[in-house]
Amino acid sequence: MIEFIDNFFNYITEVGPLKLLRIFWFFVFFEFARFFIFELLLVVSWRLRATSRGRREAMARERLFIDRPLVSVLVPGKNEGKHIYKLANSLKEQTYTNFEFIVIDDGSDDDTSRICKSLQKNGMIDLFLRNEVRGGKASAANLGYRFSKGQIIVHLDADCSYDNDAIEKIILPFYLDKNIGAVGGNILVRNYRDSLCATLQAIEYSDTISIGRITSSSLGIYRLVSGAFGAFKREALDRVGGWDIGPGLDGDITVKLRKLGYNIVFAPDAICQTSVPDTFRKLVKQRLRWDKSIIRFRVRKHRDVFYPNATFRFSNFVSSAENITYNLVLNFKWWLYLFDMIINYTSLLGFIFPFNILLYTTNNFLKFLVFSLFRKRKNAPVYYFLPYLPCMVIYFGFYLRLVRTVAYIQELFFKKSYLDSWNPSKSSNQARELGI
Amino acid sequence: METSLTTHKIAFKDNVLSFYNKTFYYLESLSSFAIESLQKYDAIILDARDADFTRIILRKFRSNPDMTFYLKPVFLINAREITDPYIKELNDGTLSSFDQIPEIINDINDISLRTAQLEHSNSASFEVQLFKKVLSYMFTRGTNNLKPYPDINSAIGYSYPVISVNFDSFEESKVLDHLEWAEKENLIWPDFYDRVYLCNNCKCGHLSYREICPNCDSANMRSEDLVHHFPCGYIGALSDFKNNIDTALSCPKCSKNLRHIGVDYDKPSVINHCQNCNEVFQDYLVKAKCVQCGNDSDVQFLISKNIHVYKLTKKGRTAALSGVFNSDFVVSDQVNGAIDPKMFNTMMHYLRERMKSNAAITSNIAVLYFENIFDLYRTIGRAKEQELLSEMVSVIRSNVAPADFISINNPSVITICMNDASTETVQLTILKIKKTIEELVSNNFQKFNLMIQSAVSPLSKELAFEKQLQTIIKELVEKS
Repeated sequence: MIEFIDNFFNYITEVGPLKLLRIFWFFVFFEFARFFIFELLLVVSWRLRATSRGRREAMARERLFIDRPLVSVLVPGKNEGKHIYKLANSLKEQTYTNFEFIVIDDGSDDDTSRICKSLQKNGMIDLFLRNEVRGGKASAANLGYRFSKGQIIVHLDADCSYDNDAIEKIILPFYLDKNIGAVGGNILVRNYRDSLCATLQAIEYSDTISIGRITSSSLGIYRLVSGAFGAFKREALDRVGGWDIGPGLDGDITVKLRKLGYNIVFAPDAICQTSVPDTFRKLVKQRLRWDKSIIRFRVRKHRDVFYPNATFRFSNFVSSAENITYNLVLNFKWWLYLFDMIINYTSLLGFIFPFNILLYTTNNFLKFLVFSLFRKRKNAPVYYFLPYLPCMVIYFGFYLRLVRTVAYIQELFFKKSYLDSWNPSKSSNQARELGI
Repeated sequence: METSLTTHKIAFKDNVLSFYNKTFYYLESLSSFAIESLQKYDAIILDARDADFTRIILRKFRSNPDMTFYLKPVFLINAREITDPYIKELNDGTLSSFDQIPEIINDINDISLRTAQLEHSNSASFEVQLFKKVLSYMFTRGTNNLKPYPDINSAIGYSYPVISVNFDSFEESKVLDHLEWAEKENLIWPDFYDRVYLCNNCKCGHLSYREICPNCDSANMRSEDLVHHFPCGYIGALSDFKNNIDTALSCPKCSKNLRHIGVDYDKPSVINHCQNCNEVFQDYLVKAKCVQCGNDSDVQFLISKNIHVYKLTKKGRTAALSGVFNSDFVVSDQVNGAIDPKMFNTMMHYLRERMKSNAAITSNIAVLYFENIFDLYRTIGRAKEQELLSEMVSVIRSNVAPADFISINNPSVITICMNDASTETVQLTILKIKKTIEELVSNNFQKFNLMIQSAVSPLSKELAFEKQLQTIIKELVEKS
């Protein structure tokens, strides 16, 4: 072992930087440069602007509380009755109180209807709507939106919980910039202690999702207002006609709003806590659905963002191009890199793989620790996650990459998203026929 | 019998028909109606051309407290189709002409024979009196069932003519209370027939059910189908899909025409719009407005009552025949200051034993009999009845010594044992109590004139107490 380590370091020192770059180009250019150095620069610049942003936010808050616009909080879902009481209670604690709470039952076959009717009777729900026949999440959200009265629509998931200033924080950006059409909330993993799978997702959410969204938002290419916590200007939703059918409806509506010229921003202080899948099997199912939507919506439905037509916007182009490049292209490129190494450096594989793992692990530690300095809200102390960070190489580098690859192949060649039971087949069949 | 009847002729004079030593009165108009004058006739033949008149007359007979009237055979003549439950249930047969009189002689004899078998007893309890009457009627008519009839004139929508005839139509819910009592007494056995919902204020069943807005209680609302357009996921009221140009339905989001329900769209639910306050909701409230008292109540707060077909039990049949049955109606336990009659009897037994061994001990029995109190009970209901009894006992208690004891034998008879006082003193005290109770009732129940009979008698050392008490009560009841 000691001999192996000696040989390993001797090789590294002898081989020279150019050869190392040739061997580890994937890590150097894509992982380290893009996901650490570039993001770090953006996060630092975002932090440096904190004071002026704070002043503008204070003024916006004043205007918000003078205006006190009615906010419609929509919670669509099927068989979510068991979560609604908790959610209604957490909403009662909100610092912003001028909102109507609308629950939409999408054809539940459990006690949801009974529970919600009882809560409505007791004044804990302002409006309860029910589709006797399941129509899918988009139709449920659209039903709530159709009968809502608010100037701002906040979309929540029933199984999430929210900081008591979450609604105030998510609607505040509308008073910072009149051109903002939608705001995405910050999502933390609530059940990070439940299993290894949940802990790894908690690290992923705090790194990739929270920090990634801060950077994409500051670049003006933020591309996904999460369904679990997102706010929309009514006027903007009116223009796009609400949500289109999913899966991936939250990414889809964000692109539609971007295409109309609206700015979409991320509100890192608007905190929502969610429960993530606690087994790898469940996670595969969720991620296959998410990853397929990149092909269905970014590559197919909204490919027109790449066309130089009247509605062309450079930020939309970058937003989609970056998304497709780093998720789809580089995913396949990684396999190419793997074959490149196997074919061209067969004898060195024993060094290349351990070194790659070392690089990625070091990078993961560095990223997690450095970015922790920029995260105001953490779901657990930083040290809690440290022992799990070495697993991220396997989780992110192999497990999720493999799932992503399968999802892309399924969607590219078989359009499997139209068969997903997440959406009722009556809607999926129509969408498939119309190619949307 | 048949041959002997045919040899007789029917005589008719001044509305009186005679046939085979029976006399019938032919009643054809209200002007000639005076019920007291009809007692002597064996049966009444009622001209039933006018249903209202027929109903009024039948009610007059069957609601009369006197057995000779409420058991009087009444036949109908000139009756058309009978739909009124009272007329249907309370007559003894129909004739197409007087020539049919020989055919009803047997029925009249039957009723007379059965009536003769009934024991006459004066009971003090209203329920007992009522059911004695009902069961007697059923026995003489050979019926075993108390059947409910849908009745528009009844406050609860149903009536049991044989028992309901004793109440005004707006008091019909009391009939259900009394039937429940009889069921508890095991006189009748219930067989479920229907369920009614009654106003929680006045127990009337004539309710106007309305779907109302949960926000403003207005019934002025518009209901619409919700339409879900599958291709774009839009969902909204049907009116969202209508246009002013043609009758086609087109999606307001993607402008496509709706073509085929179940294929490109469906109607997953409905939505209601309140025309008064513009509230939108799916589940309206249902409220019931009482036509009688105007009380508007949520349907969940209505009083639910089961309507049964009742059959006479063995105890009921025996009671019908003998006219003797005891009420389990014990109120002493629920009234402070009074003791249970059984306990009272036991204490009187010990007192007599002490009197036998000690001549210095004296005791008097005082009985108060409230002669017409059931007329009051009938109108005030069971809860108020209890309150009134409690008040009367407090009046008595404030006028007697702490060591004296009081018992409520039944809701019309109160017995008091007053010790160490002369009979004259007790009589004076009882007079004072009577006056106070009369005033109490008059002041609280719209000047109701309560008639109270009283008797005071020294406790007998020789005669058993139960016997002595029975004699006192009997004398009081007979005197009234």
